Amino acid sequence: MVLLLTIIITVLLVGVAFAKILQAKQLVDELKDKDSDYITRAEIKTNALGLLVFVIAMFALLIAQMVGWNKYMLPSAASVHGGEIDTLMDVTMILIMTVFFITQTLLFWFGYKYYFRKGRKAFWFPHNNSLEMAWTIVPATVLILLITYGMSTWGKIMNPEDEPDLHVEFVSEQFKWTARYAGLDNKLGEASFSLYGKNALGIATEKSIKERIAECEKMISDVGSISEFYEKDFGVSHEDLRKSLKHWETDSTISFKGLRADSAKFELLIAEDWNRQENLDIVENSLANYKANILRLKRMLREYESSPQKYDNGKDDIVLSGGRIKLPKGRKIKFQFRSKDVIHSAYFPHFRAQMNTVPGMKTYFTFEPKETNQEFFDKAASEGKVYMHITRDDEKNILAQEERLGSTGYVLICNKICGASHYNMKMFIDVVEPEEFDQYLRDLTFGNDEKSIPVSVFENE
Amino acid sequence: MGGAHHHETFISKYIFSMDHKMIGKQFLITAIFMAVIGMGMSILFRLQLAWPKEGFAFLNFFLGDKWAPEGVLDPNMYLALVTIHGTIIVFFVLTGGLSGTFSNILIPYQLGARDMASGFMNMLSYWLFFLSSVIMLASCFIEKGPASGGWTVYPPLSALEKAMPGSGLGMTLWLVSMTVFVASSLIGSLNYIVTIINLRTKGMTMVRMPLTIWCFFITAILGVLSFPVLLSACLLLMFDRMLGTSFYLDSIYIGGEPLAQTGGSPILYEHLFWFLGHPEVYIILLPALGLTSEVISTNSRKPIFGYRAMILSILAIAFLSFIVWGHHMFMTGMSPFLGTVFTFTTLLIAIPSAVKVFNYLATLWKGNIKLTTAMMFGMGMVSLFISGGLTGLILGDSALDINIHDTYFVVAHFHIVMGAGAIFGMFAGVYHWFPRMFGRLMIPQLGYLHFWVTLIGVYGVFLPMHFVGLAGVPRRYYTNQEFEMFADVQFINVIITLFAIMAALGQIIFIFNFFASIFRGRVSNQNPWKSNTLEWTAPVERIHGNWEGPLPTVHRWPYDYSKPGYDDDFVPQTVPLKEDEHDGH
Repeated sequence: MVLLLTIIITVLLVGVAFAKILQAKQLVDELKDKDSDYITRAEIKTNALGLLVFVIAMFALLIAQMVGWNKYMLPSAASVHGGEIDTLMDVTMILIMTVFFITQTLLFWFGYKYYFRKGRKAFWFPHNNSLEMAWTIVPATVLILLITYGMSTWGKIMNPEDEPDLHVEFVSEQFKWTARYAGLDNKLGEASFSLYGKNALGIATEKSIKERIAECEKMISDVGSISEFYEKDFGVSHEDLRKSLKHWETDSTISFKGLRADSAKFELLIAEDWNRQENLDIVENSLANYKANILRLKRMLREYESSPQKYDNGKDDIVLSGGRIKLPKGRKIKFQFRSKDVIHSAYFPHFRAQMNTVPGMKTYFTFEPKETNQEFFDKAASEGKVYMHITRDDEKNILAQEERLGSTGYVLICNKICGASHYNMKMFIDVVEPEEFDQYLRDLTFGNDEKSIPVSVFENE
Repeated sequence: MGGAHHHETFISKYIFSMDHKMIGKQFLITAIFMAVIGMGMSILFRLQLAWPKEGFAFLNFFLGDKWAPEGVLDPNMYLALVTIHGTIIVFFVLTGGLSGTFSNILIPYQLGARDMASGFMNMLSYWLFFLSSVIMLASCFIEKGPASGGWTVYPPLSALEKAMPGSGLGMTLWLVSMTVFVASSLIGSLNYIVTIINLRTKGMTMVRMPLTIWCFFITAILGVLSFPVLLSACLLLMFDRMLGTSFYLDSIYIGGEPLAQTGGSPILYEHLFWFLGHPEVYIILLPALGLTSEVISTNSRKPIFGYRAMILSILAIAFLSFIVWGHHMFMTGMSPFLGTVFTFTTLLIAIPSAVKVFNYLATLWKGNIKLTTAMMFGMGMVSLFISGGLTGLILGDSALDINIHDTYFVVAHFHIVMGAGAIFGMFAGVYHWFPRMFGRLMIPQLGYLHFWVTLIGVYGVFLPMHFVGLAGVPRRYYTNQEFEMFADVQFINVIITLFAIMAALGQIIFIFNFFASIFRGRVSNQNPWKSNTLEWTAPVERIHGNWEGPLPTVHRWPYDYSKPGYDDDFVPQTVPLKEDEHDGH
């Protein structure tokens, strides 16, 4: 309230000030000759000086930001291809900063140097072919070089020649990531959205397809039994109930023809919003969705019969939903991305890697991590990078912040608007030595009692 | 036609007017209103970004207990504000407002025409624009909030109500509003094109047209070619939402159920959207550049340098703008080869843009620069065009885009170049042609104050924002407190918000200046800026038919400023060439 009052009073005061200025201005204007210039020499001169001061201040602040805030920027890349991106970025940055400083200086300097003086005439200079040629050809040449450099870097990153050493999958959904290792056979099994349910990533094996069909059929009978419930308890069919309830919505005086239920039960239905057309639609949509799904699954099962080996790949896959994943250092890893619901984007800022995850489509990104977490932390510290360590209480309020050298470690985040919790969709990544990774994968496959790791493969035979 | 003997009622003069000058003013005032709302929304969500989860009585006052309980912004409302802010500024202020205002006022005036080719279509264009604005604003007041999937409204997020509350009725209204908007834009653009081709006065050849007209002409052509594609994208999205088709939907599992709609592709929508979306950038930028060209030449008292090169670069930019849309989609998983092609075409746009910048600099060189308020904004526009254009070289490069795609670096880039840049062009236009619109001048002192507050505000907001992006912070995050690595740059968010508040408050000066000057401003003479173009040969009283008596005849190009052989430093287009004189360029 105080804030609001302050705002209102400020606005009023500013308004009054403006009105006074306007009044004074009009008095002065009346004294002036109508055809004289509308702005005074002093005004031009002050503003010309302003241009000069502004450009110097802007340069100074920009340089101060570049130097002073460097410690908060991302550390240099932790992947092999990321180094090339960083170099390309540096080259481009140097180029654009040079052009920026030169052109801005000229612009504001001209504004100052050539400000209006009475009686002076501007230089007649409508065009000059050689000058125009020069500033078409020079930027064109520089740009062609830059484009060629950029395109070759892009080509190398996106079309890796060697076969990857490891396949890993990330699946996005509102609002979390789930990962999958390809297991010992290093082949990711087929997957389908028809199989999501208990099967978090929809991995397709003969068993999982059959289980899912059973699950869907149960859903249909559950939904169907809602109709039976009406019939049993209210003595009307789903369709009739729907019609009567529709009436109820438009005209409350209507009696429930054909309904023998007591009012308490109606209250219940209304409390659950069953008198609304949309909710009855939702039930019917669900039925349609599940029926379509069963058809798809049965088709899939037939396909499975013709090429069963295709569906064996998924059995040894390992699903990780703990919000943390290990990756080996120094191996070429091919990420496969899928999305369950809407478009998300898998962004790994430290690896300079990113790819959208699109429902109905598989996307890929191949790269090679070159530093373990500890190595990356030490490198960031040696580059003078800092991060804020935050202490929070239970309600997640910040209690204290302190700067610490190093980096907070690798993370996968969502970088495409995907809904209310878009800002909080993360998975942590640990890059470990390859031997440690191999051991970890064996532990997950066969179980390890010492480390209390259970057998974690998708289908244990 | 012609003469002031024309019976006008209040309604036919001020509301359902078919006069291009009144329609232009209607567009301008609607756009100012929409801009205030769009800017106000940005302040609301900037508060949340700077001081996350802190309560503001201010937010509660505007949004109520539902969207800002105890003054803390709701995440869904945050996304809704971001979405509607973008939509309003891009379409209603910078497309409808900018083109609508200045194409309407300047095309007939600068060509020496009595009015637009079709006054009725012109009126229809405004009222459809008004209708779509009303629908867009109305969508903010419905139960589940307005569209909130970002201004690009990518499906499936925007197609499925289960994905977010804003994808319900709010999204439907968004689509309806945009459909009406596209109709308005098409009707307007066709009218501009026809007027420019057919209604030039005697002697006004294509290469004697001011650069403003060239820019409006090419903008209108871009609009006619690209807006229909947005319309089809919107219609298909509506079908997916209402009729159960699946143009954009495939393999979706949402709300615990597999969706029956399969076989489409969300990427199809992105292609259709950006096929409009990229030319849209130039639909916004070209009119601003056109206004700036005119303002810079007039106030430097010098011909625009390289008039023909300027026209050629406008044409080159327009052509290239149709084959670069894929640079918004490098990370969608489309073929890497396509990425290469789009990188190539995108970076090519830098060549004509560089030519334009150098030509502006050459125009200023050895000029006699009258730093009017319009000129200050014109120079600000060039400065922002340089700053924002250069970072485009980073974003247009697919290899670099991998790491900065959809981070705040992008936000900073496009706000500088097509947000603030175009707004500065628009301000230059308003200050310069205000006497043409209202017969009075705006108060220059307030104009200077407005300029400095806005320029410092814009650079104060968007230069630091690049660093937030380089630290890897993604855009459209409700808060970046969930990641320790992003908490590092939280203090930059505070700086940005403070500058944003300052710049927003600075606009009060403009609004006061604008409305006060309509009624109380100093009365202008016929040609206050000593300009060459035809609009300044028309009487100050804005009469129906623009000129009393016959239309002016044009004898020369519009940029004979400080021409040797003349005493005055300007030679209007209506002055015949001397015997041994050559036409300027």
